[in-house]
Amino acid sequence: MTGKEYGPENDAALVRAAQRGDTAAFGELVVRHRDKIYARALSMVRNEEEAVDLSQEAWVKGWQRLPQFLGESSFGTWMTRIVINLCLDHLRKQKRQRMESIEAIDEESGGVERQMPVVTVNPTAGLERSELRERIDHALGQLSFEHRTVLVLHEFEQMEYKEIAKTMGCSIGTVMSRLFYARRKMAALLAGLRKEGLR
Amino acid sequence: MMDHDSQLKLQAWLDGELAAQEAAQFDERLAKDPEAQALLGELKMTRAVLAGFEAGVKLPEPPEFFWSKIRREIEREPGRVAPSRRASLLAGWRRWLASAGAMAAGMAAVMLIARSERGPATETSLADSGAFTYHDFAARTTLVWLSYPADNELARNDEADTVE
Repeated sequence: MTGKEYGPENDAALVRAAQRGDTAAFGELVVRHRDKIYARALSMVRNEEEAVDLSQEAWVKGWQRLPQFLGESSFGTWMTRIVINLCLDHLRKQKRQRMESIEAIDEESGGVERQMPVVTVNPTAGLERSELRERIDHALGQLSFEHRTVLVLHEFEQMEYKEIAKTMGCSIGTVMSRLFYARRKMAALLAGLRKEGLR
Repeated sequence: MMDHDSQLKLQAWLDGELAAQEAAQFDERLAKDPEAQALLGELKMTRAVLAGFEAGVKLPEPPEFFWSKIRREIEREPGRVAPSRRASLLAGWRRWLASAGAMAAGMAAVMLIARSERGPATETSLADSGAFTYHDFAARTTLVWLSYPADNELARNDEADTVE
């Protein structure tokens, strides 16, 4: 695909070649990590077209910043952080262009998650993989971008509270509240969807 | 009913974010509190449901087409050179700019001191950020000098990406 055949070189060797200006080596890195980068963008923006564009932009940015990559984390992690930051910027711009979401108002008015009944039965038990994916996707779409992002960064990126706070520019307390709300809301939404599905 | 602080503490316990001593105290509480156990069950269930959600997601474009778009963008840069070469040119320019800036800041500070001989002045340097400030209270003047570029890779990423 990139004009050169690459064997099972590790990412570090390809990164070094790309840092010397070898676009084919960079192309191989794109091939290896494209799905993960796209998946992260899709989880955050929930729109296929936008996720493709943002992941493409992330790769171009990754190329431009290759000299800054010192190997302190894996190349995949480094690229994932680039796409996360691009998605955050994109979502913030979107938010500025429209009214505050109902979810955000709920959060500020205080504590709806505290009154939600606890879901005791797994509402997704017995679902097919594709059906489960569809339901989770639908439920994620009901969250405001702030709640969804905290959930994605914690559950998929395995970031600690402190790191999420730094990435999102908020306090650790806010991260904890948003994560708690997002998890509880997800449970309630999945339980609701299960009931709808049974009707 | 659990108060909100306890709920957040329960969540932090689940996420391994509590200090060892606090976590041990919470273990005891959890053993005797059915409400906390139920909530913990729900939080764990949500976590389990989300695990593996991104696995199997595929870019909905053929790899060749996707890469061709990226390559076109990369090659569109006029007079494209290898990133490391570009970086060294940029680094050279930054070094020159930093030296010139330092000289200008120094001269400005000397002029201010000479003009204001009267009032007290303070200097502060922040080791972590590389920032240096000079206050001349009599002249109501503050100079702030920031070192550039940032010291670490992560800081450079944040700087370039974070809008708010």
